[in-house]
Amino acid sequence: MKNCLALLLLVLASPASAQVKLLNVSYDPTRELYQEINGAFAKVWKVKSGQNVTVQQSHAGSGKQARSVIDGLEADVVTLALAYDVDAVAKAGLIDKNWQTRLPNNSTPYTSTIVFLVRKGNPKNIKDWDDLVRPGVSVITPNPKTSGGARWNYLGAWGWALKKYGSEAKAKDFVSRLYKNVPILDTGARGSTVTFVERGIGDVLVAWENEALLAVRELGAKGAFVVVAPSSSILAEPPVAVVDKVAAKHKTAAVAKAYLEYLYTPEGQEIAARHYYRPRLEAVAKKYANQFPQLTLFTIDQVFGGWTKAQKTHFDDGGVFDQIYGAGR
Amino acid sequence: MKAIRFSLSLALLLALLPAAARAQEPQTQAPESQTSETPQTPATIDQKLEELDQKIRVLDRKIEIDKEAAAEKAKATAGVTADKSGFAIKSADGAYRLRIGGYAQLDSRFFLDEKQRSTVDTFTLRRVRPILEGTVAKFFDFRIMPDFGAGQTVLQDAYVEGRFSPAFRVRAGKFKPPVGLERLQSGTDILFVERSLPTNLVPNRDLGVQVAGDLAGGVASYQLGVFNGVVDGGIADADTNSEKDLAARLFFLPFIQGSGPLKNLGFGIAGTSGNQSGTATAPGLPSYRSPGQATVFAYRSDGTAPNTTIADGRHVRIVPQAYLYTGPFGLLAEYASSRQDVTRGTVSRELDHRSWQVAASWVISGGVPTYRSVDPKVVFDPAAHTWGAWEVKVRFSKLDIDPATFPLFANPASAIRSEKAVAAGLNWYLNRNVRLLFDYERTKYDGGFTTGDREDEKIFFSRFQVQF
Repeated sequence: MKNCLALLLLVLASPASAQVKLLNVSYDPTRELYQEINGAFAKVWKVKSGQNVTVQQSHAGSGKQARSVIDGLEADVVTLALAYDVDAVAKAGLIDKNWQTRLPNNSTPYTSTIVFLVRKGNPKNIKDWDDLVRPGVSVITPNPKTSGGARWNYLGAWGWALKKYGSEAKAKDFVSRLYKNVPILDTGARGSTVTFVERGIGDVLVAWENEALLAVRELGAKGAFVVVAPSSSILAEPPVAVVDKVAAKHKTAAVAKAYLEYLYTPEGQEIAARHYYRPRLEAVAKKYANQFPQLTLFTIDQVFGGWTKAQKTHFDDGGVFDQIYGAGR
Repeated sequence: MKAIRFSLSLALLLALLPAAARAQEPQTQAPESQTSETPQTPATIDQKLEELDQKIRVLDRKIEIDKEAAAEKAKATAGVTADKSGFAIKSADGAYRLRIGGYAQLDSRFFLDEKQRSTVDTFTLRRVRPILEGTVAKFFDFRIMPDFGAGQTVLQDAYVEGRFSPAFRVRAGKFKPPVGLERLQSGTDILFVERSLPTNLVPNRDLGVQVAGDLAGGVASYQLGVFNGVVDGGIADADTNSEKDLAARLFFLPFIQGSGPLKNLGFGIAGTSGNQSGTATAPGLPSYRSPGQATVFAYRSDGTAPNTTIADGRHVRIVPQAYLYTGPFGLLAEYASSRQDVTRGTVSRELDHRSWQVAASWVISGGVPTYRSVDPKVVFDPAAHTWGAWEVKVRFSKLDIDPATFPLFANPASAIRSEKAVAAGLNWYLNRNVRLLFDYERTKYDGGFTTGDREDEKIFFSRFQVQF
């Protein structure tokens, strides 16, 4: 009987060993990017290991995704909008606390920034951040409580105002006036794009650069929208990490690591650039330089002292965002 | 919302039209009027329409977002359902589930033309079985099913099953050993009011551990278990000896992946093997019943060693079995052999009792026959002139007691040598939850009476069954 059972288990296990599944839990606007990455990586992995890898994708607001992983969504890898959300997963014990050192560039294989998407002809003549607080300008941006992109938007506005007006109080007043012009808060960046592009709401969408360029060139909106680059904006560095506990449980640690490393390869960087993410690899960045607007970029470390501090000051319950948005409603 | 938006836009447009009209009549207004009442310009109207349009779009979008949030919340909220399968509570991720169900069967048994009657015409609650079943921690199912039928309380099922893959499940507790084809059908699904004669020879329920699984997409399935070991037709909550029975079953549905007429052709073989030993006070041997539930065969037993036949050694059952459900027709057949070493006094013998049955059914309207009962495609609804599913049926079965049983191990004046039964009837499936059965069964006996053969049993059954 023992032999029969062993044989049975062997038979059952054999086909499974040639198949491997990964779940990539990502933020809102990366759907198209990872669809292409997944297909390309599967071919590479098949040649390298003989395994057929299927990468499933899950997308929503970055903060919400981090919460889902902490609550039990079995992600093999996370590719989120900001390091703070990966840190939250690490704090839950699912990812090694030194995760940022495991891959180049603090585990951020590509970057982006925050720009404006306006309607054809720019009817409200929006050129820079201060145009967003003018009366009568309707601004679309998602909820910083649930969306990583929204937090980048908020910090981009704050950083610009701080530089322009020279004090935290004036920056707070500026951002407060900006959110008074926001009629609706979606939970994620893709939701805001839908609100602006498909539902026709608002005069300007504050968006990931990649999302704005995608909307202009590919989301059926060709010619109907224009990207406006502000004078300065924030350098957004979306990080990636293997969820160690889950990968160990699924026995997918090696393929998950290879999947993330693939993002740094010339092929992976090309794919990122084609989807309007700013590549890290110099040669690829040079090749695609013309598709990205030129603007001054500041980092979260320079202006806000890092994500932990920014999160606590601005986005935790009772933080500055709650004060200004609650007061403005 | 688009209609509302259009209506509001239209209303605003109509409200603004007089002002626009006034703007078109400059020559008729006094100069002071022209300065004190600034006329609306077309640009202002456009702006107001645009503002209104934006407000309505925002409201639309907020409703849309609220709906998405509600749908998302619903996914994370435990669900409560009540439908034809019973009442269930399920966690959002499906890892935890509790289902409350059950069934009840009210039977009537009326015997016809019996002079040597040993049983009475009666209504009886044949089965009253609440069912509590569910899933814990995603992979572990449980089921508890007592039976309050016939005025007794018997725990029928109480087990936990781990589902590790479709090909490998482990079940432990009290449940049906994997032997008899008809026995493995639920009491709610059997074709006739009472199961057929071969069911006398297979175990009913036993305590043990079983591994099971489906292979090749359900083309083959296996069950293999170790059980306490019960007598033929038996159900027990404890063992009377240290010996255990090994039970196994292999069943094939070779065309299950296709859609042809043989899709639901199944065949297989099952069996048990073990040693059983009894005593004068607990002989460890079965008695067999007629379709009318009268005891028609029993071994000699008076509580003393010399006059009591006891189980005393190997007990092997072999049960080949098959069914076919195609179109409106169903066919189920099985054969059972039960070989048991017995002893009375100083004499030992292996006895081999055998039985078989063939049952055929035809769903004449309203449903499709399956191994798990008829699936009614139309339900009983007089207002809609639909009457549920109707099925006619016929069954032949036979039980042969090993001739070596007589006269030493069983008394030929009270225990039959063989019985042969023919049954026919009609089933009415009002819906998935309610069905009525009407059977007539005639059983002819060989032996079993002081002056020869036991009188034929001619019985009319009916059953009213409710399940949920």
